[in-house]
Amino acid sequence: MAQDSSKDLESLADTAKDPGLAMQKAAEENVGYAKVIEIKNLVKTYRNITAVNDISLDVYEGEIFGFLGPNGAGKTTTIKTLLGLIFPTSGTTLVLGKEAGDIEVKEKISYLPESPYFYEHMSAKEVVGYYGSLFGLKGAAKDKRVDYLLDLVGLQSDSKKPLRAFSKGMLQRVGIAQSLINDPKILFFDEPTSGLDPVAHRDIRNLILHLKSEGRTIFLSSHQLSDVELVCDRVSILNKGKIRRLGTVEDLIAGGNVEIIAENIDPENSDLGRLKAITSNVEFVGPKTVITASADNRSKNAVLDWVRSNKGDVVSVAQTRRTLEDIFYETVREGESGPHIPTSTTSTVSSN
Amino acid sequence: MNTIWIIAQGTFGEAMRRKILNVFLLVAIAIIIMGFAFGSLDPRQEMVTVRSIGLGIIELAGVFISVILSINLIPQEIERRTIYTILSKPVQRYEFLLGKFVGGLLTVLANIALMGAVFFLLVSYKEGHVNVAILKGLLMTFFQLFLVCSIAVFFSAFLSPFVNFFLTFAVFLLGSMSSVIESLGTQDSKKSIIAVDFFKVLHLILPNFGNFNIENPIIHPDVIVTNEFHYFLITIGYAIVYSAFVLTAAVLIFDKREL
Repeated sequence: MAQDSSKDLESLADTAKDPGLAMQKAAEENVGYAKVIEIKNLVKTYRNITAVNDISLDVYEGEIFGFLGPNGAGKTTTIKTLLGLIFPTSGTTLVLGKEAGDIEVKEKISYLPESPYFYEHMSAKEVVGYYGSLFGLKGAAKDKRVDYLLDLVGLQSDSKKPLRAFSKGMLQRVGIAQSLINDPKILFFDEPTSGLDPVAHRDIRNLILHLKSEGRTIFLSSHQLSDVELVCDRVSILNKGKIRRLGTVEDLIAGGNVEIIAENIDPENSDLGRLKAITSNVEFVGPKTVITASADNRSKNAVLDWVRSNKGDVVSVAQTRRTLEDIFYETVREGESGPHIPTSTTSTVSSN
Repeated sequence: MNTIWIIAQGTFGEAMRRKILNVFLLVAIAIIIMGFAFGSLDPRQEMVTVRSIGLGIIELAGVFISVILSINLIPQEIERRTIYTILSKPVQRYEFLLGKFVGGLLTVLANIALMGAVFFLLVSYKEGHVNVAILKGLLMTFFQLFLVCSIAVFFSAFLSPFVNFFLTFAVFLLGSMSSVIESLGTQDSKKSIIAVDFFKVLHLILPNFGNFNIENPIIHPDVIVTNEFHYFLITIGYAIVYSAFVLTAAVLIFDKREL
């Protein structure tokens, strides 16, 4: 028993030094510490509509967790539940070990909604200061913190202009500044790069990485899949209220795709349904048919057999790297066709 | 308490810039000034009419400002998603709701003060002395609007602004006819028991806005105020206690509301 305690202490000391290690360890061993968000069998229904259908997942300290899904998948509902803005129909949501919405938890988290709006008559400095006041910041300490954050998001020179004169990108930066006012442990970002120009987009993406390097946990909901692929440690893909995929980005995109180009296939071919059961990614480009499927031999051979059996000519077969976009697309299409797809084998959580 | 005040300040700053409220304010001030410009031939009669119209205009503009402002205080924050950034901070829902109410009330107070100041100065100038009765009338108008704001905020905790607008106005109109409803609720051989009971309950539930116009001989022909201090104390106390009940109910509803 004493030995176990000593091991635990050593382990805790290690994880305190390196939050990334904590996340990695927790993810690998599925142990009970370093979880900062715990969702267990969350169900949320609105009258007869089930927005979130029995999802369970954990998020670990120091990781960037990508929370993906098409519109209406249940992402915002889940985030709102984690913030205590709405209440679960059943299941539990713990943030930093306490019930979501707990006032002590709110001291340590922050939220940036999609397309945030702030009081337009205020300047950036006043708005960020206003949110600082809600944390009890005042006087010189508040001014110092506000100035630091506005500098961090590149708004120092515009800090005194009223927000009505701000572009969408500038407002988004104000949103990020306000979300950092309390030096949060967990940040909930809902589409932080939505509608931004490429420069602002890249700046914010880099800022997210910078926040991670400071040991913060980021719960990122975004449709910018290239960003998610670049910055996230783990990703879950929701569709129709259920988690359909969950795992590290590397594991989800592992295996790659194969792109098969064929000729002499009629787009009106009556047997096309059988091909689409193997892969939904079939495009007709002029005389050519481009079929993208999973690179595993079974899928590849099934596609090649289909082409040959339909008297098509295989022009080329090329291995391609799968992207998160491919996985997302597949997941959504699978969801549309009905069957429930189990979560990735790398998952440390379950979706029932 | 500090959080409520911070939210109130933010609300006040935003509300004072709302164009529609400024329009009501300016129109009311313009009508008050015009009342002085077009007087009748009898100077004494003229001042009675001007005072009556002036206070009436301030009350009417005040009611419009209070209703239009208060019905939007919470729904607008939800629509613009400001509420999410605020309630994800260490802010309790009751602090948010009361902060919005106090901010709205400050706005109403500022509007009443502006209209009242213009009216008071003009009356004092025209009469050649300071007319304290005007200030008392303005005080009563403010507490009447205090009650209107709390009712609108109560409804805004669970209703859309559109429904709230009509409902708050209906409550205001019925509450202003409180003495009529009271008389309908008294037993009479010609009235049905159900109707009498209905008006009794209505009179019990509805806020009595008529109390704030007790010196108005049209609304209260039989009432003579003998102890003015007592009357003010009771009427203001009534507004505060009634609002406290209504706002407590609003907090309880808002606490369970899904945002």
